[in-house]
Amino acid sequence: MALAFDEYGRPFIIIKEQEQKTRLRGLDAQKANISAGRSVARILRTSLGPKGMDKMLSSPDGDVTITNDGATILEQMDVDNQIAKLMVELSRSQDYEIGDGTTGVVVMAGSLLEQAEKLLERGIHPIRIAEGYELASRIAVEHLERIAHKFEFGENNIESLVQTCMTTLSSKIVNRCKRQLAEISVKAVLAVADLERKDVNLDLIKVDGKVGGKLEDTELIYGIVVDKDMSHPQMPKQIQDANIAILTCPFEPPKPKTKHKVDIDTVEKFEALRRQEHQYFDDMVQQCKDVGATLVICQWGFDDEANHLLMHRNLPAVRWVGGVELELIAIATGGRIVPRFQELTAEKLGKAGLVREKSFGTTKDRMLYIEHCANSRAVTVFIRGGNKMMIEETKRSIHDALCVARNLIRNNSIVYGGGSAEIACSIAVEAAADRYPGVEQYAIRAFADALDAIPMALAENSGLQPIETLSAVKSQQIKIPTRVMQENNPHCGIDCNDVGTTDMREQNVFETLIGKQQQVLLATQVVKMILKIDDVISAAEF
Amino acid sequence: MASMMQPQIILLKEGTDTSQGKAQLVSNINACTAVADVVRTTLGPRGMDKLIHDANGSVTISNDGATIMKLLDIVHPAAKILVDIAKSQDSEVVGDGTTTVVLLAAEFLREAKPFIEDGVHPQNLIRSYRTACNLAIDKVKSLATSIEGKSLEEKKSLLSKCAQTTLNSKLIGGEKEFFATMVVNAVIAIGTDDRLNMIGIKKVPGGNMRDSFLVDGVAFKKTFSYAGFEQQPKKFLNPKILLLNIELELKSEKENAEIRLSDPSQYQSIVDAEWNIIYEKLDKCVQSGAKVVLSRLAIGDLATQYFADRDIFCAGRVAEEDLQRVAAASGGTVQTTVNNVIDEVLGTCEVFEEKQVGNERFNIFSGCPSGRTATIVLRGGADQFIEEAERSLHDAIMIVRRALKNSTVVAGGGAIDMEISRYLRQHARSILGKSQLFINSYAKALEIIPRQLCDNAGFDATDVLNKLRQKHAHASGEGAPYGVDINTGGIADSFANFVWEPAVVKINAINAATEAACLVLSVDETVKNPKSESAQGDAAAMGGRGRGGAFRGGRGRGMRRR
Repeated sequence: MALAFDEYGRPFIIIKEQEQKTRLRGLDAQKANISAGRSVARILRTSLGPKGMDKMLSSPDGDVTITNDGATILEQMDVDNQIAKLMVELSRSQDYEIGDGTTGVVVMAGSLLEQAEKLLERGIHPIRIAEGYELASRIAVEHLERIAHKFEFGENNIESLVQTCMTTLSSKIVNRCKRQLAEISVKAVLAVADLERKDVNLDLIKVDGKVGGKLEDTELIYGIVVDKDMSHPQMPKQIQDANIAILTCPFEPPKPKTKHKVDIDTVEKFEALRRQEHQYFDDMVQQCKDVGATLVICQWGFDDEANHLLMHRNLPAVRWVGGVELELIAIATGGRIVPRFQELTAEKLGKAGLVREKSFGTTKDRMLYIEHCANSRAVTVFIRGGNKMMIEETKRSIHDALCVARNLIRNNSIVYGGGSAEIACSIAVEAAADRYPGVEQYAIRAFADALDAIPMALAENSGLQPIETLSAVKSQQIKIPTRVMQENNPHCGIDCNDVGTTDMREQNVFETLIGKQQQVLLATQVVKMILKIDDVISAAEF
Repeated sequence: MASMMQPQIILLKEGTDTSQGKAQLVSNINACTAVADVVRTTLGPRGMDKLIHDANGSVTISNDGATIMKLLDIVHPAAKILVDIAKSQDSEVVGDGTTTVVLLAAEFLREAKPFIEDGVHPQNLIRSYRTACNLAIDKVKSLATSIEGKSLEEKKSLLSKCAQTTLNSKLIGGEKEFFATMVVNAVIAIGTDDRLNMIGIKKVPGGNMRDSFLVDGVAFKKTFSYAGFEQQPKKFLNPKILLLNIELELKSEKENAEIRLSDPSQYQSIVDAEWNIIYEKLDKCVQSGAKVVLSRLAIGDLATQYFADRDIFCAGRVAEEDLQRVAAASGGTVQTTVNNVIDEVLGTCEVFEEKQVGNERFNIFSGCPSGRTATIVLRGGADQFIEEAERSLHDAIMIVRRALKNSTVVAGGGAIDMEISRYLRQHARSILGKSQLFINSYAKALEIIPRQLCDNAGFDATDVLNKLRQKHAHASGEGAPYGVDINTGGIADSFANFVWEPAVVKINAINAATEAACLVLSVDETVKNPKSESAQGDAAAMGGRGRGGAFRGGRGRGMRRR
């Protein structure tokens, strides 16, 4: 890249390795950035909505992922372009914060960029465009608030939550049994939710899966599922009213951490040592027995000798349970994690109504179910499915549904889906545009056009005529004044499933308000960042 | 390119006398102007950002002059001076106005160039520039308005105006009121203390920028935790906080120590002894009455479970600066032993809570007694976005601190620059001799700020500048606070529109820019050790070849110049 020439036309060497660097500036830089951003959005566009398609991604080491989830697709694509990376991060932040709507946010940002490009061609200053977008996003967010509904739910009245989760799941591959999965998700979230603080710690929900069975076999377990089995095949497979000792010490003679060495010089001493070792095992098992434990769960392994002894003393045990699972078991059963045998007391034992080992089909795989726990604040969603990819995708879908349920607990406002909220915002923004003097007006109008992209993509993906459908729905929104609002009817959306009505209230298609607001704000933010760049300086290899 | 230049280079070799200092000087000036051109477009509320890849592939998107200059990796010796002044403006002095200072320095040089070419001795120029600089600074001081003696509320709103002016040009400009208030509150919270690291900025991707919040205390990300952590209580009111710098883990006490046992029955006693050591430590922590235990080093699984049993919250491997901040906020002191922990060394705060922020869980200490710390938790849609927001907030924090200390502000938006320019022109007319010309050109150079503001916003700079000159020429002085109106493309009273900058920023910018310009002007020959250049050429073989190509033919002169 050449920055400057002296009077004699020779370039200055100002920057290190100047010759290798390339520089793109001004309108060219913006155009290049916009087209990078748009191409990312184009990839995701077909994944939007209930009739959206899935993407198959194969990683360098041959792992195949099939997914419909925007954030996952972008993550796996391993994007190199910086602007495209911004879009990936955009989708990721929507994922972190809301967990759902990751495709929509990218599609929206893409269409905002598309509109901005047209304005740039007309010679409007990029920052003015960005400012106009920002004004428009504020109008849209306020309007969303206006058209939002609050709904009530309680421990027993979960219907509305289930409906919202179903909207999320309907675009996924699992929509076959969305009702069931939605119920599982809502129940799981309610089980761990702190309704007073409106806080949900999703860490307490474990989502696990196993290949085999069918999707309908997916279940919610009020307790923990551990991918382990009893340490000895002859131990009982089912324990009622178990008292569980949760140990982080191995069934082994204790070892000092300091380097040590035992010098044995006589046969007597050796025998003493041998006896002592045996005594240790004996004591340990006895200590567990004494406090009334009927099941031992251990973070570490144990000797065959100890194993045999446990079996002999009729004390079932599980070994090599990971730290995270151990913690969840402790929380679920109300027990305490015990670091050494001496500290074992009856109060520190966890209680579970039923512990059973379950084997699957004809395979030898077994898993341990710990159910009916004293404190059901840790739950497990256990997914079954035909193949690994299916299970992975179901996990992602359940994650989305869990996030939606969590968001509703945080804030119980909803807007209607099917693109209806976007159309309503588009109308509101369009109307507001005329009030702004100056160049921003054009940007605000462009924003309104960009909002139409989402219903348009929905219609397109559902095989409808996009323009016809959108204009029909739009005019419906304006024409039919509802009794409550006395103005426009913001509930008309795209009838993706061909039910026959465009009223999303009848179709029960809901989305969370915060999710939608977040989409608008995040997309605007990132678009502003992209528009603001007018100079790209890069080293040659990029 | 090289082929095009070929004939000229041959011409050079035959004709030009390279030992002459003038050509050297001119080429230095050109280099500086070229560098300034890179950051030129970032100035002002309509300034653009730059995206820079560096050699190892990391990417920065920034609007901050100093950051861009740093990342450009400039090797030209004269141009490096500009990088240095930008850095000094950023870190040592004020933290803002980095683009301004580079632009001014380059413009002074550009104005000097025709004089140099016409054979004026550089020292003459330097002397006049220095005089002009002093006059300009005096003028800034006389124009500055003090905000001293106002009530806290009033001061707050004035300070937030200053912060808004600097945030205007940044990516987070859309939410400038929101962030300005946040910054002002944070700065006021830490008081006049000079320790800037007491304001922590934490970045959490996700959410939108309005989700950012200020904690009047300390916040840090949940540290790595062992099993048992989730069983600890996560909220306390008025807890006692114990800060440690020791490991709470079951481990060998001494490295390389070895125990030899001859009697197997002693085995248990050794094991017990080790356990006792750690239990004793833990017990002392509990005895102290602390409810929150933080350590810079690891807190092991044993300790985590021990504390969980006793309803105590603990966090190990807390970052050094976070621990220091907690210490300052809570009034505690960091202990290196658990022996003899008295009440005085324990800190406290009103509320301690572990909270979910985006995808992370955060430990938040708020309502601290000494109130000497503040933490800003930044949210944003992308990593790059938050990085840039952090840089912008850094600028704003520095500005507010400066304004709080020196308490004088001047009108921004190019108003102050126009006023100084007018004053210098007026002054120049009273001077006999060459100096008149030089000071005049210095005055002209100052106009670059409003000119660039207009250029960046896409306005007709000449037109706006003419309007400004006319306004500032009013004898009554009422036109003094008029600057560029970025929204309409006309002129407006910057002072009344609250476009304010602390006077010290401007003074420093003028001073540093003049110094840098004088420094470049006073150099007439650069001697570069040819050996080091060849070494460099080897290290960057590609670069060396490229450079060789460009200089082919004019080698002798090229070497000497550089």
